[in-house]
Amino acid sequence: MAEALVIRNISKRFGGLRAVQDVSFSVNANETVALIGPNGAGKTTSFNLITGFHRPDSGSITAFGRELVGLRPYDICAHGLARTFQVARPFGGMTVLANVMTGAFLRDKKPDIARARAREAIEFVGLSAKEHTPARDLTTIDQRRLEMARALATEPRLLLLDEVMAGLNPAEIDQAVALVGKLAQRGLTIIIVEHVMRAIMAVARHIVVLDHGQKIAEGSPKEVVANPEVVRAYLGSGYAGAAAHGEMTC
Amino acid sequence: MKGRLRNSSALWLGLLAVVVLVLPLVVTSRFAIDIFIRVLLFAFIGVAWNLMGGYAKQLSLGHAAYFGLGAYTSTILEIKFGISPWIGMFAGGVVAMLASLPIGALCFRLRGPYFAIATIATAQVLMLLFLKFRDFAWGAEGTTIPNLGSDPLMMQFDAKAAYYYIALALLTAGLVITHRIERSWMGYYLVAIGEDEDAAEAIGVNVQKIKRDVYLISAFLTALAGTFYIQYIYFIDPNTAFSFNISVEAALVSIVGGIGTLWGPVIGTALLEGTSALLQSWLGSSLGGVQLTVYSLILIAVILWRPTGLFGLFTDSYARIVHRKPVGARQAVVDG
Repeated sequence: MAEALVIRNISKRFGGLRAVQDVSFSVNANETVALIGPNGAGKTTSFNLITGFHRPDSGSITAFGRELVGLRPYDICAHGLARTFQVARPFGGMTVLANVMTGAFLRDKKPDIARARAREAIEFVGLSAKEHTPARDLTTIDQRRLEMARALATEPRLLLLDEVMAGLNPAEIDQAVALVGKLAQRGLTIIIVEHVMRAIMAVARHIVVLDHGQKIAEGSPKEVVANPEVVRAYLGSGYAGAAAHGEMTC
Repeated sequence: MKGRLRNSSALWLGLLAVVVLVLPLVVTSRFAIDIFIRVLLFAFIGVAWNLMGGYAKQLSLGHAAYFGLGAYTSTILEIKFGISPWIGMFAGGVVAMLASLPIGALCFRLRGPYFAIATIATAQVLMLLFLKFRDFAWGAEGTTIPNLGSDPLMMQFDAKAAYYYIALALLTAGLVITHRIERSWMGYYLVAIGEDEDAAEAIGVNVQKIKRDVYLISAFLTALAGTFYIQYIYFIDPNTAFSFNISVEAALVSIVGGIGTLWGPVIGTALLEGTSALLQSWLGSSLGGVQLTVYSLILIAVILWRPTGLFGLFTDSYARIVHRKPVGARQAVVDG
C-alpha cells in the first residue's frame, strides 16, 4: 500500500522539555490512524510539526513524496494536508458559509465556485441548516463540524483531526464517529488524536501510542489495548475489563 | 428577498449620489464647503486605513507616514521640478507603497498593541527625518505652495467646489476598491486574518503576503490624500504632513463608524468631524475647546455601548423598519 505520510526520527524540544523524541511512524494512504497517549505525550506537538506550525529540531516528514520540514503551514495545506485544532478556532465574525468559503478559496479564487464547493462541504458535515449562522453562535459540536467542513473545503488528501470529540456527549460522539467514518469512506487518509477510546476503537485501523514524547507502541487496536506498557502508561489496569463492555471513554 | 434588498440599496445609493453631487451647488457658504471637504477627505483616509485596520484588524497608528510621503513627494516634484501634482499624487502613492514594504516587514513581526506602537514609531521617525534634513525638503519651516490662481492642470482652483469634487472622487474610488475587495477572496482572507492568523494559515492563507499586499493598497490610497490635502491648504511642513492626529483620526473614524464595514469610516467621519467642526464654529469663541469635549464624549459613548461601531446600528434599525422585526444589536458578520 502506498504511504501517504512517513515520519522519520522527529524530535522537538521546548527549552528543557523534550516534547517529541525520536518518533517515527508512517500512515498508509486511505487509512485511519489514531494517535493516543496521556496528556503531554506529544500528540498535539506532533500535529504541529507535521502541519508546519513548529519546525522539528531533527528528523524528516514526507507526505505524498514531498519533504514538509521547512515549509510554512499554508504551503503544507496547499500540498493537501488539512488540520483541525484541539480547541475549535472558527472565524467567529463570519457565518458558517463564509468560514468554509475561506477554505475553498485555496483551490479556486472565484466566489461563485468557492461558494458551491463550500456548500458541498457544509452539507457533508450536516450543517446546511446553519449556513448563515455566525460561527460564534454555534454549539461545540457544530463548531467542530464547521472546522471539519472548512478543512475539507481545502480539498485535502490527508486530514489531521485533533481531539474533535472532546467535550461532546455520548450521542454527539456517535455522530462524530459516523462523520469520521464517512470521511474515511471518501478515500481520505486520516490521522486522529483522541482520548475517547470507544471512538478510536470504532474508527482506527492502526494506533500509535505516545508517552512522554516517545512512541511506546503501535499496532492494530487489539494489539495496542493488550500491550502491558500501554495499559500502564495510559489506559489503566481497569481498561481491559471495561473495554469488553464498550463503556469506557477514558 | 435578496433582490428587493439590492434594489432598495441601489435606490438609496442613487439618492445619496444625487445629494452629494448637488450639495456644493446648493450650499454656497465657503465655510460649509470647507467642512464637507474635510469630512470627505478624512472619510477617504479612514476608508484606506479600514482596509488593513478594519478588515484584517491590523491596528496601525502610523498612517501619517504615507500621508506625509504622498504630500512631500508631490510637493517636491512640483516646486523643484515643476511637475503637476496630478502626476505627483500618483508618484507619491508609489513612494508610499515602496516605503510600506520595509515598514511592513518590520512591523508585521509584531501583533496587537506592539504592532500599533511600532507603526507610531515609523511615522515619527519620518517626521524627524524631514525636520532635520533641511536641504532636502525645507526642514521645520516648511514651505508654501506657490499660488497660481486658477490652474486646474496644477490642481489649483478658485472655486472651493472643485476641491470638493476631487475629494468626493477620491472617496468614491476608495469605496469602490473596498467594495470589490470585500466581495472577493481577498476580503474573506483579510477578515480571516483579523479573526485568527493561525487558523487562516492552516487553511492555506499566506498571512504575511496578504498583509503586505493590503498594506500596499492602504499606503497608496493614504498618500493620495496627503497630496490633495497639501494642495488644498497651500502649505506643508513636517508637523502637518506627518501629524500624529492624521494617524489617530484615520483609526478613530473607522472605529466609531464600524471597522471592517464599507460605510463605517464614512459614518464615523460625518459624525466626528461634522460635529466638532460645527461646535468649534458656534461655540469656539465663547467656550474654547468644547468641540474636543464633545468629540471625547462621542468616543466614550460609542466604545461603551456600541464597541463594534455605529454602522451596525444603522443596518439594524433599517432592517427593523423595513422588515418590521427586531434584529437586535449584532456585531458585523461576514456572510457568503
